[in-house]
Amino acid sequence: MKDLWQNPRVKRIGAIMLIAVLVTVMTGPEGNGAEPTAGFTGSFAAQASFFGIFTVQRWIVFSLLTLIVVGAIALAKFVHRSWNDRAHRGGSDASAMSTRTPLRRRLDMKSSRYVFYVIVLVLAIFLPHVITDNSWQTQIVQQILVYILLAIGLNVVTGFAGLLDLGFVAFYAIGAYTTAWVTGALPTPPPFHMQFNTFFAIPFAIALAMLCGVLIGLPTLRLRGDYLAIVTLGFGEIIYLFANNLFGITGGATGTREIPFLSIHLGSLKYLWGLNPVPYYYLTLGFVVLFLIIFSSLEHSRVGRAWVAIREDEIAAESLGINPLKYKVMAFAIGAASAGFAGVITASQTLFVTPPTFTLQFSINILVLVIFGGMGSIIGVVLGGLFIQIFVVYLEHSPPSGYNSQDLYMYLGALLVVMMIFRPAGLFPSRRRRREIDQIEAGTAPDAVLTDVGPHNRVQEEMS
Amino acid sequence: MSYFSSHFTTLGHEFWGLLVGGIANGIIYAMVAIGYTMVYGVLRLINFAHSEIFMSGAFASFFLMKVLVGNSTPNAFESVVYLIVGILAGGIVGAVMAVGLERVAYRPLRRRHAPKLAYLISAIGASYFIYNFVGKEFGRINLSIDSPFINNTVFTIFGAAVQTYYIVIFVVGLIMLVSLERLVATSKLGRGIRAVAQDAETASLMGVNIDRTIAVTFMLGGFLGGVAGFLYSIPIGVVYTMGFTPALKAFSAAVLGGIGNLRGAVLGGLLLGIVESFSVAFVNGAYIDVVAFAVLVLVLMFRPTGILGERLGRSA
Amino acid sequence: MKFRLNKTVAAVSSSALVLMAVPVIGIASSSSAASKPTFTIGYQGPLSGGNAVLGINMKWGVELAIQDANASGRLPFKLQAAFYDDQGSSTLAPAAAQQAIANKSLVAVVGPAFSGATETAEPFYINAKIATVSPSATAAGLTNGKTNNNFMRVVYGDNVQGQADATFLVKKKLAKSVEVLNDGSFYGAGLAQVVAQDAKSLGAKVTTASYPQSSSCPPGTAPTSQYTALATQIKTSNPGAVFYGGYYCDFGLIVGALRSAGYKGAIMSGDGSESSSLISGTSPSSAANGVFLSAAGGSSGGNFTGALEKQFLKISGGVTSAKALYAPQAFDATSIIIDALARVNTKMPVNKIRASLIPELHKISLKGITGMIAFQSDGNLKGSGAGQIDYYQVQGGKIIQFGHN
Repeated sequence: MKDLWQNPRVKRIGAIMLIAVLVTVMTGPEGNGAEPTAGFTGSFAAQASFFGIFTVQRWIVFSLLTLIVVGAIALAKFVHRSWNDRAHRGGSDASAMSTRTPLRRRLDMKSSRYVFYVIVLVLAIFLPHVITDNSWQTQIVQQILVYILLAIGLNVVTGFAGLLDLGFVAFYAIGAYTTAWVTGALPTPPPFHMQFNTFFAIPFAIALAMLCGVLIGLPTLRLRGDYLAIVTLGFGEIIYLFANNLFGITGGATGTREIPFLSIHLGSLKYLWGLNPVPYYYLTLGFVVLFLIIFSSLEHSRVGRAWVAIREDEIAAESLGINPLKYKVMAFAIGAASAGFAGVITASQTLFVTPPTFTLQFSINILVLVIFGGMGSIIGVVLGGLFIQIFVVYLEHSPPSGYNSQDLYMYLGALLVVMMIFRPAGLFPSRRRRREIDQIEAGTAPDAVLTDVGPHNRVQEEMS
Repeated sequence: MSYFSSHFTTLGHEFWGLLVGGIANGIIYAMVAIGYTMVYGVLRLINFAHSEIFMSGAFASFFLMKVLVGNSTPNAFESVVYLIVGILAGGIVGAVMAVGLERVAYRPLRRRHAPKLAYLISAIGASYFIYNFVGKEFGRINLSIDSPFINNTVFTIFGAAVQTYYIVIFVVGLIMLVSLERLVATSKLGRGIRAVAQDAETASLMGVNIDRTIAVTFMLGGFLGGVAGFLYSIPIGVVYTMGFTPALKAFSAAVLGGIGNLRGAVLGGLLLGIVESFSVAFVNGAYIDVVAFAVLVLVLMFRPTGILGERLGRSA
Repeated sequence: MKFRLNKTVAAVSSSALVLMAVPVIGIASSSSAASKPTFTIGYQGPLSGGNAVLGINMKWGVELAIQDANASGRLPFKLQAAFYDDQGSSTLAPAAAQQAIANKSLVAVVGPAFSGATETAEPFYINAKIATVSPSATAAGLTNGKTNNNFMRVVYGDNVQGQADATFLVKKKLAKSVEVLNDGSFYGAGLAQVVAQDAKSLGAKVTTASYPQSSSCPPGTAPTSQYTALATQIKTSNPGAVFYGGYYCDFGLIVGALRSAGYKGAIMSGDGSESSSLISGTSPSSAANGVFLSAAGGSSGGNFTGALEKQFLKISGGVTSAKALYAPQAFDATSIIIDALARVNTKMPVNKIRASLIPELHKISLKGITGMIAFQSDGNLKGSGAGQIDYYQVQGGKIIQFGHN
């Protein structure tokens, strides 16, 4: 009996069945405190339609689906193996020579990548004319573009510099509240008692967010990965606490007063943003492209290379004269900049800033985008972010039965675990990151990574 | 200056009451902190999802109490029985959840020698999954728990009312903590745990089954965490988000006492509970959480190895 | 040649397709031409989350009114309802409002139900010239000093409710000192402020404190034990009465903490706590007994009767209108919108209809289920509100009404 349990095939079948049951319950109806089993029994006994063909109880539907999925995987494996067998039989040059077909070589060229970017940009510019519904347009700005901004910012911190920051939402909050402050929507009077134009809140917010990045980073970035995560989590919570409680400074839980519309009044250049979401879309899109260009060039610059060095072997980097603290703080500040700008966009479009937006859950949502897309790869993060956010927006708009908008984080959490188990490098990882992770897993990474102990990232500080 | 003097007078008035309450809270923090500390000692990993183990224990005993106690008022004998059953239920569910968590979220990562960051991210994901799943299945509002005993003031000490609730926590906490300490210090199992904490490779060469030891470590921490959940929720009920804040505070306690050190976890828990309780006299209720977090940051910056130092291997 | 799919190309191009395709799928528009034009009345309120109980009550009221109107057959148009969930949150309200505005057949909105949500959603409704008739947003700040005329409410605001509460505690319960707490929300803080001011002017000694960290409404991350510290402080200072401006989920925790600390004075809260979930959320449930509540109910027979009640029971699945707080108000709000709609020219384009409803609603003078409905220029009901605020007390696990102001 024990041998049966150890059999890998049995284990695999058992695992698949467990996962199927779990998915059935996850997508099933809700329960509540008075009827705790309602969710469970409903998940299996309720009627569901099998792709509209026929209607049976859910457990039957899911068993069929499981069989189909298992069959599909087995089929795919079979096909893949027979293709490769045929390839091997075909010629000896299959493995020795380069396997890059002319098409592949074409696609790997930089010029084709630029062509692709231009196409996407053109499509993005024409998007508001395709989707003319105002509420959808606002959703695109607030739920997709803002999240992308935040994700590329977190990507600088977590992907480039390798620092897990769980309090990233704090910079977003600072950007939003700064906008309110500078335009006079907070109980505290604006700086110099001048009520600034919302547009000029943009440099203020970015500067303040970057400053906070430096201030938070300096004392905490000496800590090792796990501890840094918890401490940044704590700082995020503290910012939320202060925002929620300091009624006289931030408006407390009620939030700010109404923030004036974004507008430009520069001599002959006059433009009012108003309530129409389309100008916001273009403004945000413009800045997204700007940030993408800046971050991309940073990645390939000296700073970017310093980050890579610190990520791979901090002690060796230090011995080469790179000051790890300086570059880590720089990463914090730069990531904070895009978060600060995102805060301005949210504040000026939704016209009110309230604390419940800035929770830990939000930080985790952004983290999921970065992890899913591929830490360290800008294009990966953008694509991964788009995937998930579009899906989330779609689910919110037409939720299938058994889905409550609050279930989202259950799925995101499961997604994180699954990604870590199967593909920690993310869906579209940069080649360098993938190589790093492969090295660590093979155990060939430099020593400092494997033997780190204690909260500080120094081998010498291990207490004896 | 008068600000301080008025607050200190309040502290003086309420001293014994706050002390008793603080020790009770501290014992709960200590029980949760042990979960963090043992897992860290053995795996060098912060088990971010321990908060959900705490919460599962609370929910398990909530349902059990609903069935056993319901609307009735139990007499003394029944109270004791229900209490023991509730504790066992909370502890067992906590232990099962912990072992399951290790199996699903951490073991696959250990098999592929994943980078450290991956563990933490997986833990975060597991935590979010578990508590939202519980919220979906069991409702998202606060549910009051049917207490297995009637909360009376048993006796007063220097004017502070010591309620049944506190006595229960003292007794249960004492039993659990002492037994665990004895287990780790003297038994073969405990020696295995300490060996793995000290040097996993050598331990496996010595014949210690690493996988089994790790599972047992999670189980022990999970049992204590689940019991702590039950005790914590008796006066205030359960809600699916209840795990986050107490667990974060317990983690601060573990770091305060010395992460990886069992006695340190107990010491840190008690200290944090008392300090937090006294700070009630000084700050508004909402800012009390900041106290625990401030302790964490200060410890990490100035004495990262905590009060008692970092080793699980050293139990003495 | 090895069969190798270029993953990057496939991924990138499929993601571009998804980017274009999904939003287009989302905009499915289906409108079948009918002989009578169909108009939509929207309802914005919490349909999920910690406050859903109150929100769903109002949804039922709206549904009843629309069913009733359609069945009567005397209207030259058909009506349907559209529901927009904002979870009672001021953060989610603008998005819900914009969805409502984007609905091309929507003419007016019942709601938003919660005061905080109303505050952040109103700029969008003002801009779209859509009338919002709220059945329950009682915050005084929504009408104090505001110049927009599209917001109206069919309940008396917190200026009236707060005064009633202060009068009850100081005059009836003879409290010489009152501790006024609030949850920091737009509604809770506003109501608490009125109570504090009025109690002070009635001669009581007033202390205030704010607990904006929400523990369970909707589930927040504050520890549920944050109120034990408060309870200790209150036990020491021992005021004659404690008033809480906020919602039932956190009020239940406060009541439990106060009782277990041994506080014996009067504990009261406003309409945000008037819900049976208050009792199930208090630990132990018996601690809620003796607690006072107030709500703008209109004791002039503020419930459905007869055939209307039967219909309501069908919609609500057995919950009576006496138990469903604010359902009658939502019914009245919907009814006056329908009444106003019947008097405007419905052949106009929808935005003109929306704009023309606003002055029509201000002209309304109708006897609804909850009482006489006529609006002042600021959107509040005409009248002093005397006799309109009901007092409740929790007795034996049930909320019983025992008087009014």
